[in-house]
Amino acid sequence: MSDRDDRISRLLLAQDVAEFLYGEAELLDERRHDEWLALLADDIRYWMPMRRNVKFGEGEREFTRSVTDINWFDEGKDTLARRVKQIQTGIHWAEEPQSRIAHLVTNVQIIEASPSVADAREVSVKCRFLIYRNRVATETDLLVGKREDLLRRENGDWRIARRKIILDQNVLLSKNLTFFF
Amino acid sequence: MSDPINIRTLAPGTRIALADGAVAEIVSNPADGVWLFARYLESPRDPALVGQEEMIFAGDVVEVRQAP
Amino acid sequence: MGTARTTGYHPGLVDLASGQISREIFVNDEIYAEEQERIFARAWLFVGHASQIPNPGDYVMSGMGEEAVILCRDRAGAVHVFLNSCRHRGMKVCRYDEGNTSVFTCPYHGWSYGTDGRLVGVPYFREAYHSKLDRSRWGLVEVAQMCNYKGAIFATWDAQAPSFPEYLGDFTRYLDLQLDGWDGREGQAELLCGVQKWLVPCNWKFPAENFSGDTYHNISHRSVDLAGIGPSGSSRRDLGERNVSRKLHVCIPDRGHQTILYVMPQGRETPVAYQNAPIVSEYFAHCEAEKRRLLGEGARLIGAPGEIFPNTALLSRQPRTMAVWHPRGPNQTECWRYYFVDKDAPHEVKEFLRDYYIRYSGPAGMTEQDDMENWNYAHAASRGTIARRHPYTYEQGIGTAVRDYEFEGMRVPGDVIDITEIQSSEQPMRNLYRRWAQFMEADDWEQLATWRHNERAAAAE
Repeated sequence: MSDRDDRISRLLLAQDVAEFLYGEAELLDERRHDEWLALLADDIRYWMPMRRNVKFGEGEREFTRSVTDINWFDEGKDTLARRVKQIQTGIHWAEEPQSRIAHLVTNVQIIEASPSVADAREVSVKCRFLIYRNRVATETDLLVGKREDLLRRENGDWRIARRKIILDQNVLLSKNLTFFF
Repeated sequence: MSDPINIRTLAPGTRIALADGAVAEIVSNPADGVWLFARYLESPRDPALVGQEEMIFAGDVVEVRQAP
Repeated sequence: MGTARTTGYHPGLVDLASGQISREIFVNDEIYAEEQERIFARAWLFVGHASQIPNPGDYVMSGMGEEAVILCRDRAGAVHVFLNSCRHRGMKVCRYDEGNTSVFTCPYHGWSYGTDGRLVGVPYFREAYHSKLDRSRWGLVEVAQMCNYKGAIFATWDAQAPSFPEYLGDFTRYLDLQLDGWDGREGQAELLCGVQKWLVPCNWKFPAENFSGDTYHNISHRSVDLAGIGPSGSSRRDLGERNVSRKLHVCIPDRGHQTILYVMPQGRETPVAYQNAPIVSEYFAHCEAEKRRLLGEGARLIGAPGEIFPNTALLSRQPRTMAVWHPRGPNQTECWRYYFVDKDAPHEVKEFLRDYYIRYSGPAGMTEQDDMENWNYAHAASRGTIARRHPYTYEQGIGTAVRDYEFEGMRVPGDVIDITEIQSSEQPMRNLYRRWAQFMEADDWEQLATWRHNERAAAAE
């Protein structure tokens, strides 16, 4: 394959992945939660560690660990589906009336594609997010951070197989996390 | 004035020269970038300090000499 | 309002006879400032758990009221709680959440303190201070009293406060339920790694009274019951044992501590739980049997949400957590939630419970989320001039508490209301605010240790 072909393959993949992530954000912001759930692989791990202030050079202790430690989120599809079900009861008072939410997804970077860029079945992708939440009257949260996603092709469509959410906060500045990242 | 020295990562055993002409050997380093625990090897100003272990302030360290 | 007050809390703002409590105590700036002096500077407060600092030199950040403190283990192994503020000009001497160190060094002027709090490093001590500064007087400020109770570290700034066991009084057994193993062995609980910390725009007393035993607000959690996150794989949040027990509000009247408590019938085994997770189910069945063997009748007591005055919440059953409601101004609370498991439990059990804990509790917890919404907007809607004129009502069950409650041979000390059939009482909140008013009015611990007066009176007879 020529260098030019290779670059075109990368471009196409990057565009494909970015469009998928923007489309996902659209579903969340339009409260189409059932359609959003359908984008998640059955074995998804959805993980948002907590972050500590640690000494320079001790970065490995900055994040709480998946599975063993307490995190903000660390769960699979069953729990995520229950969260959606809870919102859809219409009596989940922390989301009733529902929040106005906008996901801004930027800095999309393909980190790895396997088995190849031209024929990618799994893609590791990083991005930045800015989530704006406004609810009731003046209550407003801004949550900014990074995401590390593993996307997998299933029957021709991308599915999210792993999501690590790195929120750039220590003490959580929001009273609750009733929405998805 | 000598250039400032970052003492945070200096290893025990390292010899340091101090502003008053003394020379000391690092015993331990709390890695706070401000203090070292060191033993005096030479101290022209106060010879009684030789052999003593003291906390040394970063501002007093003027030169790093490698361990012999 | 407008001036700081040291009288008129009871019966003025806290009228227990009618069960009416003024909204001012939640929203008023001067009352909040007074609380810092009269409550948080005098009461015993939860600081952390010994399992956070197992080794010499280990430390972890914590808070006591508005104060930032360091919980640490010195080089000799002794546990200390220090104010995290340099004696020279006040800068925090540590801004890491945890770690291991030999010194705490202030980044401002370089003063440095040992892990025992002694001032060990003063830049230009010889030159600028002419070697005259009395370093022994300028160590880190340490709490007046500290107690390591079964691994839980509590502390107070007040040297006159009674010992921690005396402060707990008859509430001790409920803290034991939190800190002992599920099998009844002493102090077998340990913390899971990671303390959740988050800000809620409400007064600290909203969560404090909620965890005192608010069984009336179950309706606000209907959505999670419908979505289903039960530990047994059922839709309900709670465990089957609650269906066969007596459900009580237990209040320790002269201490201000209160809890929900379940008491199992005599001779009845705890129903099997966690049927959908065999290893977990087996573990708890084993523990329950061990507990009956070890504690006998004592094994009939089953914990539930409770509150140690003023701002430490317990939940000794599932999800097994403690929380501290740190005041951050009258209109904001910083919640810290700690999660417990048995030290010796198999890792499958720890992971199962951890999953359940974080989908239940904390800011992402499907149950606690709705609590925060309520506390937020209850507080917001109580701040207005007109709103403040109208007190809250805490009338449920006034005059119905019994002393020396007994159920099938199990005596439960304190003021007790059996809520098995009646669903709810507000005795726990009245107990909390009675003690709150005492703290706000009493000049010293001589007045606050009311039980000593009663004991002296009894001895004189």
